[in-house]
Amino acid sequence: MTKRLRTSLALVLVLALAAGFAGVAGCTPAKTATPAAPAVATPVKGGTLNFYIGEPAVIDPIDGQESEGIQVINQVFDSLVDFDPLTSKIKPAVAESWKPNADATVWTFKLKKGTKFHNGRVVVAGDFKYAWERIALGSNASTISYHLAPVKGFDEMQAGTATELSGVKAIDDNTLEVTLQYPFADFEYVVGHPALAPVPKEEVEKDSKAFLEKPIGNGPFMMTEPWTHQQGIKLAAFKDYYGDKSFVDGVNFKIYKDDEAAFTDYKQGNLDFATIATGQIKATVKQYGESPDGYTMNPGKQVILGSELSTYYIWINTQDATTKNADLRKAMASAINAQAICDVVYEGTRVPASGPIPAGIVGYQKNAWPNNSYDVARAKQLLTKAGFPGGAGLPEIELAFNVGRGHEKVMQLIQADLAAVGIKVKLNGQPWETYSSEWLKVKDGKFANSDTHQLMRLGWLADYPIMDNFLYPMFNSKSGDNKSLYVNPDVDAMLKTARETTDAAKRVKLYQDVEKKIGEDQPLIALVNYRHVRVGSDRLHDLVFSPMGLAALDKAWLSKAAK
Amino acid sequence: MLKYIVRRVLQMVPVFLGVTILLFVLTVVIPGDPIAMRMGERNMTDAQRASIRKALGLDKPLYQQYGDYLVRLSKGDLGESSRARRPVLSIFADLYPNTIRLALAAIVIEIIIGIGAGIISAIKRYSFMDVLVTLSTSILVSLPVFWLGLMMQLLFGIKFKEWGLPYLPVVNMTSDQFPPWAHMIMPSIVLASVSTAYVARIMRSQLLEVMNQDYIRTAQAKGLSPSAVIWKHGLKNAMIPVVTFIGLDLGAMMSGAILTETVFNWPGIGYMVYQSILQRDWPVVMGGVIIIVFVVMIINLLVDISYAFLDPRIRYGAESS
Repeated sequence: MTKRLRTSLALVLVLALAAGFAGVAGCTPAKTATPAAPAVATPVKGGTLNFYIGEPAVIDPIDGQESEGIQVINQVFDSLVDFDPLTSKIKPAVAESWKPNADATVWTFKLKKGTKFHNGRVVVAGDFKYAWERIALGSNASTISYHLAPVKGFDEMQAGTATELSGVKAIDDNTLEVTLQYPFADFEYVVGHPALAPVPKEEVEKDSKAFLEKPIGNGPFMMTEPWTHQQGIKLAAFKDYYGDKSFVDGVNFKIYKDDEAAFTDYKQGNLDFATIATGQIKATVKQYGESPDGYTMNPGKQVILGSELSTYYIWINTQDATTKNADLRKAMASAINAQAICDVVYEGTRVPASGPIPAGIVGYQKNAWPNNSYDVARAKQLLTKAGFPGGAGLPEIELAFNVGRGHEKVMQLIQADLAAVGIKVKLNGQPWETYSSEWLKVKDGKFANSDTHQLMRLGWLADYPIMDNFLYPMFNSKSGDNKSLYVNPDVDAMLKTARETTDAAKRVKLYQDVEKKIGEDQPLIALVNYRHVRVGSDRLHDLVFSPMGLAALDKAWLSKAAK
Repeated sequence: MLKYIVRRVLQMVPVFLGVTILLFVLTVVIPGDPIAMRMGERNMTDAQRASIRKALGLDKPLYQQYGDYLVRLSKGDLGESSRARRPVLSIFADLYPNTIRLALAAIVIEIIIGIGAGIISAIKRYSFMDVLVTLSTSILVSLPVFWLGLMMQLLFGIKFKEWGLPYLPVVNMTSDQFPPWAHMIMPSIVLASVSTAYVARIMRSQLLEVMNQDYIRTAQAKGLSPSAVIWKHGLKNAMIPVVTFIGLDLGAMMSGAILTETVFNWPGIGYMVYQSILQRDWPVVMGGVIIIVFVVMIINLLVDISYAFLDPRIRYGAESS
């Protein structure tokens, strides 16, 4: 091996240039035959699954916020409830049953008996109370405390005037009672967030720094050694797990700095799950096959392109002198060709959105907003109805966005689309650092620094697969995330009613009605939804990567156990 | 000499103070709220923001924050990352050895191949080797580092494997299939590539100049063998600019190599500092820069001391001026 390597080394300088040409040739996919998946594949046990992630910020649930850390937390910890990775439907996890009172202000969770932490201790209701208080306590500076904002006593914990979440009570070891500050019938989804899992107090108090590097949870996989920063996180199947045992022996989260490096390593055969590098989607689909449902990976159907629970959109200020005209807002929504944006800028990594709520959310309605689709004739009609036929008499409108990440190109396409129907738009690009935290800051129903904002780009990523997670923060008149300054007492009332409705089917229907109602005012233009752009190895079976971006690794298996 | 070293070490103190003040001012002047950066596109209530600011000590007046920082620094405490909740010192203790490993490997390549090629092309002027060195160094200098890295990955990692040839690992520092040294080959060559070309060119031109000097002619006239002339009289006198360049380059490599680290997924400090700037994770940026400044000052000192050995006319501590 040494000698051979040395020979290859000698070729380095000579071949460095030749490699350039090899690179060009490398763009066309090799004609490797994709192995046909057997009709019914029986899961095989064993093997270690190599999974690509970026360096997480934190893998302790206290800051379980960004996608990479959550991926790990989701394997190491189990919350009260879980979501089906394909349908997003809620299902039991540590809690075996739960029910709200009549107006959804008091929730009682019954815990399964004898579920264990990785240190062997049995999980009790008090562990949830401890974990949640750790997150809610202001001096702990958790970035995810907002999940617990509905819980009674949260504000006092944040302010530092209380050290206990008064709304959370461990009635006995297997009963957890949660009292909320206001009715919230979707609260059962909130407690499914991976970071709201129980935490063993004794481990944190023994050494909180060690817990940060090697958290001890109650999930299907446990950490076997502390996190090797910038390199990897190793997990092994937890033998005493209360649920179905995983097929694989372990998971090796391999940490990469960017998608390109990971994709190169995938190409060399060292990863079972990777992100497809920029510009490689078509070739990768051709070579490895596309998953029919967009979320499940199997040999020969290795590429998943399902949509994610996030929307990229343009807020429209509903209180600005010009853009308060609803017909004008609808005209703009009709004039933008979102498909072209997906094709030109994103090379198919996004899909056009027809409303604020993406597919994958429970209650998603296709074409929820009738005017949120490309139709130039309708756009012109609406513009005339708005009082500006062909754009005559319409002042120039400002479109603000944060620069970078390809936003400029999207904004230029929008500018051109709007100009085509007679709406003149000037672009205002700003650095993200100040755009989000200062420029778009809304306080008491007004922009904190100016009232001239008209169109503003932003995106929204769901924490839970529920419509409320979009509709309430974005369109409630009191919300700081409502950048269109949209005030509609009907919508406020409907949202309140929906939050108080404990019957799940009825509630979803109510949210669907609210979504349609908001669509009549068009306070924003939904542009595109993000898509998964991931690929699995040819030995990986039945891996579901949910619309929320969480991998169900305990249900996946590898055909060749040894590697 | 000792007096000189002591004086140089003492000079580091004001430089340090200057660096910390500059960095502190930058954290205030550069737009972007570290807390908002951690929250993504989500809105925060003022109460939430205030409680996080308080927990991170950002609510105190600036001079007090700076004073606290200096006090902690004097105890060797670089603070804690606002994003990762980890001590800054342990972040760099994890990553710095990897940066040093890569930098040393690259410097060895630079010294052996760069100086070697420079000498050969100078003493065999206008030969085939000289043309080869001149040509290949021109190409290397003009190649973007990341492109060279990507092409080498494609050829020696992916294509060689497809063709059934022995291949190299494409990324990472360790793996089950390869010994650690195999992982170092491509990143160190890529990191060394441009500098090696420069070293070869500097070496060639310096040696050519020295070889025209009178004392070389004298040495040749008194009957010394050609190799003795080159090694004892030529090379030693031609070395100072080369050593200066290699010293500066080592300092640069010890500050991390963002491109090489990214292409080869090498867990070094360059990418860490870069990411921390983007995230406005100021404690990490400050800690990283302070460590880098310290290392670079030490390397510069060593380079200056080495001059005295290379050229006896250079003396330190004489206090002539």
